[in-house]
Amino acid sequence: MVRWVLLAIRIWNNVMRQKKSIIIAGSIVLLLIVFGLVFGCRQQKQPANIQAGLAQGVDTVPMLIMQVQKCSKLYTAEYRVHKIITHDDALRLKGQLMSKSFNVKVPLADRKIAIPMDAKIKAYIDFSEFSEKNIECSGNKITIILPDPQVIMTSSKINQQNVKQYVGLTRAHFSDEELANYQQQGREAILQSIPDMGIEEMARANAAKVLVPMLTQLGYAESDITIAFRQDLDFKHGYQGLIRMED
Amino acid sequence: MKKFHVIIGVVIVVALIILVFWVKSALKSNYLELGSNETIDPTPTQIQSIRDIGEWEFLSISAEEMVDTIRKGFFTDDELVRIYYGTLRLGIDMKSLADDAISVKRDSVEVVLPKIGLLDKDFIDEAKTKSFYESGRWNSQAHEALYRKAQRQMLHNCLTPANLEAAETNAEAQFRSFMISLGYQNVSIRFK
Repeated sequence: MVRWVLLAIRIWNNVMRQKKSIIIAGSIVLLLIVFGLVFGCRQQKQPANIQAGLAQGVDTVPMLIMQVQKCSKLYTAEYRVHKIITHDDALRLKGQLMSKSFNVKVPLADRKIAIPMDAKIKAYIDFSEFSEKNIECSGNKITIILPDPQVIMTSSKINQQNVKQYVGLTRAHFSDEELANYQQQGREAILQSIPDMGIEEMARANAAKVLVPMLTQLGYAESDITIAFRQDLDFKHGYQGLIRMED
Repeated sequence: MKKFHVIIGVVIVVALIILVFWVKSALKSNYLELGSNETIDPTPTQIQSIRDIGEWEFLSISAEEMVDTIRKGFFTDDELVRIYYGTLRLGIDMKSLADDAISVKRDSVEVVLPKIGLLDKDFIDEAKTKSFYESGRWNSQAHEALYRKAQRQMLHNCLTPANLEAAETNAEAQFRSFMISLGYQNVSIRFK
């Protein structure tokens, strides 16, 4: 027992002797931590550093899935559309206490975001099923019956530079997953608004602009060419006289 | 006296049981939740421009690219991983079809088509992008850089000589079929 006490006293004396060196070592470690924190913060705040980081970014998970498909689609009309996706994310406290319900907005917990987005919508006529059944010839006259146009969103682009966001003091910043979710909702909203744009009518009209010059090169007179569609439409176009509608 | 204590004890226990049941039933309909709305606000979609085009697509390449970037930190590294989707469309811009591209001699036709190429350089559907993993905070410049990176990778992987050749072969087959449907027996297709 006495031996253990003596040993403890000896260790304590050594510690007291080395106190100065412990303080110095501790200070160095503390300085390193402070330096690390400052360095880390600076990296996050300066866009130039981020760009440098991105330039040096390593692709650790390169992956590619490709689907190659042969087709025959004639795109005849292109619409460029713009949408500002907005989201007001107010935190609300809802509940019911002793049969009394309440719904209050939590102060300093608002989040708002506006995401400008551009998209390209194109209409095409699918020629993959095109055959002699789609052609009617009588003498010098030729009629080409086309299938109904289809509409597709071919691309979309988020205007990253002009994304604006406001985040309340008590809230976290918008995560990448949240941003992607809002963008997908915006995309769906654009797709839903396509039927009101009238792109299909334009696609039908423009089909003649592509096909008529080809048929005139084959020796048909413009007045003998008819581009026919199944649906009755009325559109004002230069090639209107060449287009016949079918029920 | 002892009997009296037992009775009081039983009464207290029963009263406690009744109280517990009463409080439980009173609090049954009570709830408290903290939540926010996840849906976007309804905003209009504006048409910025309308254009007549004549793009004949013969090969469609749907690509899915996982792109990531790492930012080295002192203690930990920050990482952002996103999955981009795009469709590269290879075909012919019919607006560049020459006035004398099609020549006819009796039942024979010769067609000289423009070179097959990428119909539209905007092929990524960025709004369809999925966020796979995020650590740290990333700004809009980082997202833009990732988009460009995905675009470069898709072009590199999809715009290959093999795919261009496949598009050309299909274009030839489709035009041949189109001309045969029009009644021409001998069809010759060439590319510029």
